[in-house]
Amino acid sequence: MAGSGRVQLRDSEDVLLRVEDLVVEFPVGRKRVVHAVSSVSFDVIEGETLGIVGESGCGKSTVARSIIRLNPIDGGRVLYEGDDLAELEGGALRRIRPHLQMIFQDPISSLNPRRKVRDVICEGLAVWGDDHAVWTRSRIGELMEAVGVDPRFGDRRPHQFSGGQCQRIGIARALALDPKVLICDEPVSALDVSVQAQILNLLQDMKQRYGLTVLFISHDLSVVKNVSDRIVVMYLGKVCEIGAADELYESPVHPYTRALLASIPEPAATVDVAEGDIAGELPSPVNPPSGCRFHTRCPHATEICRQVEPTMARVGGGDHFAACHHPVLGPDPTR
Amino acid sequence: MKTIETPRSLLEVRDLQVRFPTSRGTVHALDKVSFDLRPGQALGIVGESGSGKSVTARTLMNLLPRTAQVSGEVLYEGKDVRALAAAGAKHFWGVEMTMVFQDPMTSLNPVKKVGEQIAETLRYHLGRGRRDAWAEATELLGQVGIPEPAQRVTQYPHELSGGLRQRVVIAMALACRPRLLIADEPTTAVDVTVQKHLLDLLDRLRAEREMAMILITHDLGVAKGRTDDVAVMYGGRIVELADTVSLFSDMRHPYTEALMRSIPRIDDPSHHRLDPIPGRPPGLMEPPQRCTFAARCRYARPDCLEAVPELGGMVGLHRFSCNHPVGTERGRAALATNRAAGINATGLPMTETIEEVG
Repeated sequence: MAGSGRVQLRDSEDVLLRVEDLVVEFPVGRKRVVHAVSSVSFDVIEGETLGIVGESGCGKSTVARSIIRLNPIDGGRVLYEGDDLAELEGGALRRIRPHLQMIFQDPISSLNPRRKVRDVICEGLAVWGDDHAVWTRSRIGELMEAVGVDPRFGDRRPHQFSGGQCQRIGIARALALDPKVLICDEPVSALDVSVQAQILNLLQDMKQRYGLTVLFISHDLSVVKNVSDRIVVMYLGKVCEIGAADELYESPVHPYTRALLASIPEPAATVDVAEGDIAGELPSPVNPPSGCRFHTRCPHATEICRQVEPTMARVGGGDHFAACHHPVLGPDPTR
Repeated sequence: MKTIETPRSLLEVRDLQVRFPTSRGTVHALDKVSFDLRPGQALGIVGESGSGKSVTARTLMNLLPRTAQVSGEVLYEGKDVRALAAAGAKHFWGVEMTMVFQDPMTSLNPVKKVGEQIAETLRYHLGRGRRDAWAEATELLGQVGIPEPAQRVTQYPHELSGGLRQRVVIAMALACRPRLLIADEPTTAVDVTVQKHLLDLLDRLRAEREMAMILITHDLGVAKGRTDDVAVMYGGRIVELADTVSLFSDMRHPYTEALMRSIPRIDDPSHHRLDPIPGRPPGLMEPPQRCTFAARCRYARPDCLEAVPELGGMVGLHRFSCNHPVGTERGRAALATNRAAGINATGLPMTETIEEVG
């Protein structure tokens, strides 16, 4: 798997966020490094929802955090409206951050327990916005209303709300600065299923209402498909496959994508359940396999996969790309 | 249709009730929980946080805190397990009935080799010698699909991946050849590809050893694929209990239906609008004497607010606790009435996104 290469990048004027050859490495002592993200490229068009899916350790959260510079970037570019976020420092970086806001996995621990939720939501506004108190107050009421939290409860603290309510407050906080890009890192993983649907629908509504572009990270394939226009599948710091949500699930070509779709409890109809039986364990990101990083577990791997890293290539007619020497191309007559 | 109440039940749970007194009132964690388990049967218990599924498991395993007030019967092969507890039957739990927990990192001792942890079980319960126990531990690791067991047996938990750790925990639970395994969210902490491997492993071991299993999960897909029967829990009660095929094809309780409709499915097109369950799960502190789901239920009528509906039907048949079951005349009538009024009996607005069913 996967691969480097940038053919999947689109040449559209509407591209709002463009990640090129992103590299993130974490030193772990004795000159060893974890290769968390290795040459990952993708883009997001304005108003689009891009899903990133993969298992633990694939680098999906690191990608998200790198975009808003929550961790250092070791290579590549993150282009947002012509600025390279990887290069920005100090005041310039701070000025751009309101445009990109994030929602985290654990809704309760991402809110300061000692502050009133109103103050949690308005902190960004207090720093950045018009500091006219009356205006701020009405804006917060409006936001709380929009995300489905009764504005009368603004004086309460996070522990007085349920997990689902806290996630709504987290969303209100992210929206307070009127961002253009919303980065959601596993926003529903900690929630019960009945609440999960409420939050997913809310995110969809907020996206419409505030014209957001969304980057949605999750390990849950069904959830990602539900919210995304386009999906990136990652494995061990590399991109395996990128495509439109419905197309990617309809005709997955990368053996890893197919394995994921075959492993879920109610497997997708397009793959054979046996494809979910991928061998072995996830290799260490400190010393990733040569060639295609998936070759140690891939049922189709041959000599070339051990030696040569595949690059992203177009498969099928649309904007569907995969990095694989032996893609599983279905008998789709439209191809 | 299954036979009704055979005397061959391995486990019979009758009217189990668990309460926890706290400084802020009494938590009604379980109420009137009853079910049967045949030898070799796999029962799924599904529900959300606070529904009582883990408390059920812990009650069966005698792991509740001392403050818990328990009533009701748990019969294992006709014998009262709770009387055993008083008599100090230390070779019942861990031998006949064992448990696998959600997080393998916290259920293994980090400073002991995994082999020692398995061997310890064998020595304590079965009186094996040091050398025999070690050899058996190695063999068990092989049986749960751990590659190179002779090498792994000398490793510590932190040297293993999450999937391998959970296999070690399963090996430990199976060491004394239990007849009932309780698996409490055994795959919630692992990735999907690992989850599939672990569930396949449990299926295989269960068939080989004719072991019964209670599989506790919040994931309806897991329950659907891996169990013979499913109990759906809500607010500390079983609200629906049926064989797995009937439950998923012919659900009767509005909560079961609502739960199914709220989860995104892999075969739905993207941007498929979900039907969330309005409101939030009930509090367990002094619950009112009425249907606990009524406040979120689009079928709720005034009679739902008068008393808690009983889990009707015969043991062994499709049972549910609802006055206006889904897919029945009463259910359709309740839905039509509520829809005409625009609200259900508790004043919940009927949202327009929900299309006609059943």
